[in-house]
Order: sequence, then C-alpha cells, then structure tokens
Amino acid sequence: MSDTSLPDELRETMARAVRLEYWNIFWTLTIIVTMGLVLGQSQTMKTAWIEDTLGLVPPVMFLIAAHMERRAHRSRRFPFGFERVNGLGFFVAAVALTAVGALLLYNAMMALGSQEHATVGSIVILGHDIWLGWLMIAAQIYSLIPPLFIGRKELPLAQALNDKLLHTDALMNKANWLTGAAGLAGVIGLGLGWWWADALAAAIISLDVLNDGIKALRSSTAELVDGAPRALSSTDLSDDAQSLCDRLSAEFPGATIRLRETGRLIRAEVHDTHPPGECRHPRHYWPEGEDRSWRLAQVSFIPPVGREEGN
Amino acid sequence: MKRAIILAVSLLAACDILPRDPAGTSKRIAERRSFTVALADPTVHEAAQVRTLVHEIERRTGAKAQWRPGAGEALFQQLDDGTLDLVIGRFSAESPWAMDVAFGPPLSTTGTKDAPLQLKAAMRNGENRWIMTVERASRAISQEARDK
Repeated sequence: MSDTSLPDELRETMARAVRLEYWNIFWTLTIIVTMGLVLGQSQTMKTAWIEDTLGLVPPVMFLIAAHMERRAHRSRRFPFGFERVNGLGFFVAAVALTAVGALLLYNAMMALGSQEHATVGSIVILGHDIWLGWLMIAAQIYSLIPPLFIGRKELPLAQALNDKLLHTDALMNKANWLTGAAGLAGVIGLGLGWWWADALAAAIISLDVLNDGIKALRSSTAELVDGAPRALSSTDLSDDAQSLCDRLSAEFPGATIRLRETGRLIRAEVHDTHPPGECRHPRHYWPEGEDRSWRLAQVSFIPPVGREEGN
Repeated sequence: MKRAIILAVSLLAACDILPRDPAGTSKRIAERRSFTVALADPTVHEAAQVRTLVHEIERRTGAKAQWRPGAGEALFQQLDDGTLDLVIGRFSAESPWAMDVAFGPPLSTTGTKDAPLQLKAAMRNGENRWIMTVERASRAISQEARDK
C-alpha cells in the first residue's frame, strides 16, 4: 500500500497525465498571448480571451493536487494524506468558472442593452493596412486547434484515474469548438456591420462558461459534503458506487450501506451489521468486472446499537 | 497551383469586403459624395496636417468635406448621434472620451512629456470601415501615425 494518497497502480497513468497537463498549460499560454495581441475593443474577443485564461485553472489545480497526492506523505497532522486535495482543486476551479461566467454574461447583456458598437480598427503589417478583425479571426481559428487534441488525450486518462478535475478539463477542451465557432461568428458579424453580433457571441460563450461552472460546482460540492460518489461527467451517482452498494447489500442483507468519496477513492460504511469473522482487505468487496478495486480505500462496520447494549 | 491562385485571389477579394459600417457611414459618404467635419478647438486650424488629412480623405473617398462649426464635447455627442462624421483636435493621450469615440493614430504630438497632446481625428464608434479609411489616410500623411 502506498504511503502517499495515490494508489500504486495509478502512478504511471498519473505521470502521463501530469506530462500532458504541462503541455496543456504551454499551449494554453500560446493561445492567451496570440488572442491578447489582437483583442481590440471586441467584447467577443475579450470574453474568449478570459475563457482561455480561465482554461489554465483546471490544469494548474490538477498539477498542485497531483504533486501533493504523489509526493506528500501521511503524517500526524494529515493522517489521511492528501487524497481530497483534488476535490478541493475541483471546487476552486468550479467557483472560478461560475463566477467569471456570470460576470461575462452580465457584461455581454449590458453591451447588448446599451447597444455598444465595438470599434475594430486597422494595423500596419509589412507596410499594408490590415483590418484587425482578420487577425482576430486567425487567432480564433488557432485557439480551436490545441484544445481539441489535448481534450481527446485527457479523456481516457481522466477515466483511468477517476479524476473529475481532469475530466472537466477534457470536456471543456473538447467542447471548445463551440466557443470558437461563436467567437468566429461574432467577429465576422461585427465585420459585416451587425453591431449586436459581437455582444451576442460574447453572451453565448459566457453561457457556456457558466454552464461548465455550475455542473462542476454541483459535483464538487456533493463530494465536499460527503454525498454519494458521483459519475465523472454528470451529477448522477457513479456506476462504480452503485455496483459496490449492490455487492455489499448482497453480502450483508438488511444492512444500511453508506458510501462517500474522498477524491478518487470511495469509503464505505456498513451499518447495523457485525464485521465478518475473517480479516479482509477492503478491496475484497470490490464488485466483479473491471479491476478498479484501488478505488475502495475503506470498509467500516457499525454494529446495531440495541443488540450490543442488550436491549 | 491553379486552385491556390483562385483561393489567394478569393481571399484578397474577401479582405476588401470586411469591415462594413453598422450605421452605413462609408456608404452614405460614397452616395452623397460629402462628409462632415469639425474642429474640436479653432487653433487646430493652423496645423498644416489638418488640411492635408482632410484632403487625403477627400482623395480616398471621392467626397468633399463639409465644415461644421462647434467646439468641445458637444461635437462628440454629434459624432455619437451620427450627425457629424469627423472631429479633428488635440486630445490628451488618456482622453476620457476614448471609450465613447474611436480615435485615429496621432498625426503629431505636442505638450509636455507628462501631459502629451495628440493631434488626431475622432470618429463614431463601431463605424469600422470609415474608421479604417481615416486611419489609412492618417498613416499616409504622417510618419508619427505610421510609427504608432
């Protein structure tokens, strides 16, 4: 058993995920710089740029959590290690996404309401006057490419690690084309003289950010308040947890099964029953099928109070 | 090769399609063959670059400048309303009007180092084709505008 919070089986996969997240940060920074150079007064560009900058939060939080899970040892002050740091990172990322999404939506609605006409002028490149909008379109197209590849690579790693932070980041990256398409439509619409296109595209992008944030917030708070384990991509109960619950119920009929999640691990409490006679490792209780028994970190038995006291 | 040339020509043609003006300033100027211009402060009239800029815009648009009287902030309101196309004056680099109107590149700079005053044109916000026309004209007549 590992002395850190990370199960030994996950070390290699985790190392691959860490390498990928460093690449993710590198490519996101190139996008932030490229977009930042051509922002102008466009609300769409500002919103897309902030969304891209926010894209740094999940990988940075993942790297911090991964570092603590891999390196920090259990101690007297932290006897359970740092397995919940990932959950905390997920919560921080969710709060950031929700707050900024709401703020961006407010700004876009204000711009629409006050009928702001965004000015996008020209710049000189190699002696030629070029409309800045063309550079914005090029930057938007560039911003679509790296997330698409990174998102595809993140998804299987997130599933193997059962990592919600990584999974949310993967989905955000994979769905980035929607934001990119809205951004492109906004700038082209602005160029066509439709002043509202800019603010409308900004509102669509901010709605997408807000939606990601609210979904992540619901799932991350469920973990923090000891809710039953949730699925990676939704707020529904996870299949792993459901199978485990069925497995424990079958072995201990009449017992009340309570499951909670600490980071990627599951802890189970079997109430109103006595523990079995022989000594068993918690992984013994993992249901048949895919070998993800590392997820079950603890099974505790709580005997019925009445019988113990002889009532 | 043939396809590449067609694509390049199409892209160049597309480059000239955008941007357009939401309120149609450039189209109106082309149809009426005139645009309206005012000076933010009368002393600017002595600057040779003002006349040169207006002549350059006239040359590029094929329209005649119609000078309008007025001064100060009221002109910016007329720009915003669309009753005036261009205001030329000396403005602070950190002008509080920067968000309400679109400034062209500075033609020249006077004043002190701490409080520079830039001679430049102001246009109605969002009229991107018209703004680009004035920006091009400013760069054509001023080295400082080209360097900006």
